[in-house]
Amino acid sequence: MSEQQPYEPKIVAFLCKWCSSAGSDLAGVSRIQYPANATPITVPCTGAVSPMYILSAFNKGADGVLVSGCHIGDCHYLEGNYLARRKMYLIMKLLDFIGVEHDRFRMSWVSAAEGAKFAQVVTDFVNDLQPLGPQDKLKRAESK
Amino acid sequence: MEKILDKKRLDDWAAALTNYEVQAPSQEDGIWGFQPVNGPVRLDHTNTKQPPKEFAFPQREVFFTFEQIKGEAPRLTQVLPQAPRHAVFGVRPCDGRGVPRMDKVFNDHVEDTYYNTRRKNVAYVGLACNKPPSANCFCLSVGGSPVSTDGLDVLMTDLGDRYFVAAVTDAGKALMAEAAKVFSEPSATDQKQVKQAHAAAVAHPQRAVNNPDQAPAKLKASFKSPLWDELARACIGCGICTFLCPTCHCFDINDEVHGKAPLKGQRVRTWDNCQFPDFTMHSSGHNPREGTGARLRQRVGHKFQYFYENFGMHQCVGCGRCITECPVGIDIINVVNKVAENAA
Amino acid sequence: MINLKDVRDAARDMLAKGEVRAVIGYRRGSRGMFAEPAFLDRPEEADELVWDPTCFHNLSLYLVHDRKHLAHAGKKSGAPVAIVAKGCDARSIVVLLQEHYFGRDDVYIIGVSCEGTGVVDERKLARHLNGAQASNAAFDGDDFVFTTAQGEKRLPAREVMADRCLECRNPFPKEHNLVYGEDKTGRQLEAPFAALDRFEAQGAGERWENWARHFDRCIRCFACRSVCPMCYCDECVVDSITFPISTETTADEKANRIRWIERSAARSENITYLMTRAMHLAGRCTDCGECDRACPVNVPIRLLNTKMEKEARDQFGFEPGASIGGPSLVASFLDKDPGEFIR
Ligand code: SF4
Ligand code: SF4
Ligand code: SF4
Ligand code: SF4
Ligand code: FES
Repeated sequence: MSEQQPYEPKIVAFLCKWCSSAGSDLAGVSRIQYPANATPITVPCTGAVSPMYILSAFNKGADGVLVSGCHIGDCHYLEGNYLARRKMYLIMKLLDFIGVEHDRFRMSWVSAAEGAKFAQVVTDFVNDLQPLGPQDKLKRAESK
Repeated sequence: MEKILDKKRLDDWAAALTNYEVQAPSQEDGIWGFQPVNGPVRLDHTNTKQPPKEFAFPQREVFFTFEQIKGEAPRLTQVLPQAPRHAVFGVRPCDGRGVPRMDKVFNDHVEDTYYNTRRKNVAYVGLACNKPPSANCFCLSVGGSPVSTDGLDVLMTDLGDRYFVAAVTDAGKALMAEAAKVFSEPSATDQKQVKQAHAAAVAHPQRAVNNPDQAPAKLKASFKSPLWDELARACIGCGICTFLCPTCHCFDINDEVHGKAPLKGQRVRTWDNCQFPDFTMHSSGHNPREGTGARLRQRVGHKFQYFYENFGMHQCVGCGRCITECPVGIDIINVVNKVAENAA
Repeated sequence: MINLKDVRDAARDMLAKGEVRAVIGYRRGSRGMFAEPAFLDRPEEADELVWDPTCFHNLSLYLVHDRKHLAHAGKKSGAPVAIVAKGCDARSIVVLLQEHYFGRDDVYIIGVSCEGTGVVDERKLARHLNGAQASNAAFDGDDFVFTTAQGEKRLPAREVMADRCLECRNPFPKEHNLVYGEDKTGRQLEAPFAALDRFEAQGAGERWENWARHFDRCIRCFACRSVCPMCYCDECVVDSITFPISTETTADEKANRIRWIERSAARSENITYLMTRAMHLAGRCTDCGECDRACPVNVPIRLLNTKMEKEARDQFGFEPGASIGGPSLVASFLDKDPGEFIR
């Protein structure tokens, strides 16, 4: 197994349409090299990300979940990212509490101009997820 | 077939049953439940939190899998249960009596292949209740007894340092024949002691449903009684009473999708519950059993009236679980008694 | 010590004068010593009221039921409903008021202090009674006294008390219209979050092993949700009613509808359910312990909720049920909220 291809974690990335989503596009058009493991889901604001989305992504088989939005002070809706910061902190702690590896959930602030930062965030995330292997704790199993 | 089994040899019997998956009560996180035997069998349980109904009627059963590649016809593949043969030890006589009731439900009009496939692979080894294990036991009120053999394949009775083991069915005899050497012949004293133990068990005081034979008619006359709402005022509509009942059998069928390209998944049956508000909810939003009173009436009516009308026996076997486990004290004995007392 | 007669007299009086529509309290149940919820509509029923260490239910749930019934019947509320509430129960009522579930005038809080102790944990008690059946339970200083067929059995309360009571900082209903018993706020039998701390002392691997076992055991009876006064949503993500089906709904639509959580009591689904619930209760759960008590298979749900409570307290300085006018945990923020975890 170790001789073969490195394991490729599946990441679900909830990206704010006002910043990180554009940041990921910028990383793409600037031809910055970064792993293609993230499936982006554009959201209107990080404040709109329900903790349920995170749990559901893990439930449907994500190996890691990323939430990325506008820097503090830059939220299009002024307060969305402040609220997200609290909610995401809580769900992060709860996941950690039941014993889900800490590195499976990540949050970042990436503006529309920060293509390189977005690439870095994803690269780091993939690097941290790889040694963890597939996420099967919260994943819905096709059982008998 | 009646034999004596030295308590020290119980494990030898279990070990000899290599053609079975042997299950016995064990305690985990404070909960008595049937678990595959792995280590000594100790039949010192009260009653298991869940009855043994899961062996024939698991909470989740896959009926078939489906897969559809775009543009093609869907492919369905039936999944029949691949259950091992089970020998379930430590079944209380009330729960044993639950088995023939479930058999009726799953074989009346329609024979349920899934249930029957599992059911014919289970042998129930009962343990007589020398003393009722719970303050809410009332098997005597509903035609049962702490030493009933109904629904069991074997009945064991604790005689101190040994068990008196009686086969009830051919399946039970087969189970005993697998380990003929561990048993010995009962002496006249053993026979006398088992009779005494059974007589004492039956004489032990229990809570009681008054005039249980009249309950069906009394409940029937009380369909519109305001008491239902009154008695169900505290009900929170959770599923404890029914999920834990040895004879509750309602289910729901859902398709669980496990992939979209191609579309694939499983059609599954899961337990459902008449106490859940959405159980009878129509898609219009109308709910014919709107309140907790109507739902309590359904549950109690099914146990003490409808089933009786259909099959000539109470569906309730008096295990007392729904009473002990209800978080707000809804008590089926009290409900039947109160409603019957006030019946027109 | 609370004199039960005072409580009964007050209830009788309120009902007789028509000041309240009903009194929700505790009475002796039909199964042994345990109290059960009582709903009194007439003054002559007031003598049914009891107050003892088995009054563990958080009755504020029934205020929620009452609102739902009124809304369903299209009725106005009229006179308030009186309710017997312990400290934690009163804090639940505060959260309901904070969320405008009903108004302060709709409820008349008859507060009862837990004094030096609290209420029993049925599971702990069963271990101590060792099969003996008790017919009555009573407070007596630091002890609980049980009446059994073999005579009186006295047990140090702290050995059979619910964990939440051992850790309770405010065994007194601060929000009340009337209150009985002494205010012992500050009495502390165990450190706050003691049970949580014990659990958290384990490594992540052990925590997962424990939770995996607990999640596997859940039978999805939803007693934890049904018994919780904060779980008042008309539609919950786990219910099948969230997807309206008409004659026009195609098989494809049915198969592809969003289902956050499947009906199957499988580990993954149970986790999603219980974690979603814990998140939804963050900042709202007042640790009345009802979910934990009601669970028939001993899933330690309280740990999930107290974990959220502890984080809220340590990181956001937030106390659930502290004041009616206060902000909600997840609909507010502070500039100094932790953000170091964000890249
Ligand atoms: S109705 Fe209650 S007492 Fe009767 S069999 Fe079911 S769980 Fe047991
Ligand atoms: S948690 Fe506190 S207020 Fe609630 S019952 Fe226990 S001691 Fe009383
Ligand atoms: S979550 Fe549990 S402890 Fe918290 S308020 Fe609801 S029932 Fe009470
Ligand atoms: S955690 Fe307990 S009370 Fe809640 S649904 Fe699961 S089994 Fe029922
Ligand atoms: S708009 Fe980007 S986080 Fe709110």
